[in-house]
Amino acid sequence: MTQNKSTAGLGSAALALMLALLLPLPSQAALKVFACEPEWGALAQELGGSLVEVTVATNALQDPHQIQAKPSLIARTRNADLVACTGAELEIGWLPILLQQSGNARVQSGQPGNFAAADYVRKLEVPQLLDRSQGDVHAAGNPHVQTDPRNIALVATALGARLAQLDAAHAGDYNARLADFSKRWQQAMQRWSSQAAPLKGIEVVSQHKAFVYLYDWLGMKEVAVLEAKPGVEPSASHLQTVLASLKNAKARMTLYAAYQDARPSEWLNKNAGIPAVKIPFTVGGTDGAKDLFALFDDTVARLLAAAARP
Amino acid sequence: MNWSALDWGILGPAFIAGLLVLATHVPLGQQVLDRGIVFIDLAIAQIAGLGVIAAMSFGLPEGGVAVQLAAVVAALLGAWLLTWTERRAPQQQEALIGVMFILAACGGILLLAGNPHGGEHLKELLVGQILWVNATQLIWLAGISALILLALWRGWVQRLGRFGFYAVFAVAVTASVQLVGVYLVFASLIIPALATRAAVGPRRHLIAYGIGALGYALGLAASALFDLPSGAVIVWALAACALAGAALLPTRV
Repeated sequence: MTQNKSTAGLGSAALALMLALLLPLPSQAALKVFACEPEWGALAQELGGSLVEVTVATNALQDPHQIQAKPSLIARTRNADLVACTGAELEIGWLPILLQQSGNARVQSGQPGNFAAADYVRKLEVPQLLDRSQGDVHAAGNPHVQTDPRNIALVATALGARLAQLDAAHAGDYNARLADFSKRWQQAMQRWSSQAAPLKGIEVVSQHKAFVYLYDWLGMKEVAVLEAKPGVEPSASHLQTVLASLKNAKARMTLYAAYQDARPSEWLNKNAGIPAVKIPFTVGGTDGAKDLFALFDDTVARLLAAAARP
Repeated sequence: MNWSALDWGILGPAFIAGLLVLATHVPLGQQVLDRGIVFIDLAIAQIAGLGVIAAMSFGLPEGGVAVQLAAVVAALLGAWLLTWTERRAPQQQEALIGVMFILAACGGILLLAGNPHGGEHLKELLVGQILWVNATQLIWLAGISALILLALWRGWVQRLGRFGFYAVFAVAVTASVQLVGVYLVFASLIIPALATRAAVGPRRHLIAYGIGALGYALGLAASALFDLPSGAVIVWALAACALAGAALLPTRV
């Protein structure tokens, strides 16, 4: 705990008093995991069970690119044994400042307490040439890796090993939980793949370039993107180009993430008759997506329901 | 309730940033209120942001001194423009400030269509978050605030007349908005000044500073205890302290 250095001001004195009187004793039992997004929080919980205490910085309906600063975020980062995030520049707007403010040496970049999921998967859409004209692009490739369950499996292996490394006394427990999770996950992936077989090759529109890993997994084909440059309002001529290109293609649905505004997709529904499909995108994004397994159950079910429409 | 977040190491830098912002904004706010141009800070902040985007589209390197320089130069140009409009059309000054605000905002969007990375800098510039302040930023803000207070106190600003006021204002807002965001700048400028209209002279300053400091302290504490975004809670705490302060002051209308 930091010593109260300043005696200036009523506010600081009051704060120090409250601190001294009311600070609870920190619990030493569990490995404290600070997850940037719900999917990594859920994965850490699956792999750590009661050995970990997980807090998540963002909820499923929040844009993970940006968050509001709250004191508890710094407090939790300060106490964390492991910070588990997506990486690939997704949290570049806030995570570096948060880590710096926390003063926690164990979770700084490059330390064992800093885990970036995107480091363990093959990234798509890595730009050949970083060009400003392409919009708010990520130099490290598309960061939304969690929409492909094969990536979740890869990240699980790495995260399980990391937990075992940080909490060596319980390494055996982590390895057993990882083996169990991986087995159940492989079975579930087979189920999803066979269920989603009708989706192979169908043409879809994306509201934001957030589903490239999902398409890669299910073999879906993206024929247009509504927000061509992420972070920039589409121009009238771009929307016209999208409508024109859809005359030739047979797009079956428009996908948007649960945290996004549905209006662009609804607009396309009205103007081109293409149904809009809300994708939970992460654990908690829809009522159905209660855990990692339910996340993909729900995603596949929603896609199949939209594809079944005439 | 989350007592562990009530930590001077976390809230201290934010509180100091708040006090530094108040130091310059309380005296400026009283002038803004007297002139009836309360939205000037929004306009100046937006113009500073436009300057940053423009600098990027001219290919200036991002980050650091170049961005700051572009922001200050744009804000000063805005100040000069406001001086000119006040001389030409004093009755319409507030409406012109409003128009300038939306022109700057939309100009930013148009420039961004070709340069989306500027959007991040615009956001950084307008929605600075008070919890993220670091020591370097505090030292800069302290230096700028000290200069502004010295200029106000020694009468240099008054000697420059209208432009003096707008220029000082432009520099103060450009410096503070990046650290605490546009809502807190507006609140620090207007709320303490509004609450102390019944008082005069040095007493008014003192009460306004008290209300501001108490608002920041209570807001930060509440934000820690109830785990809410700090900037927004401080705005509400400032308003609550102002109401209490105004109720205690004798009315003078």
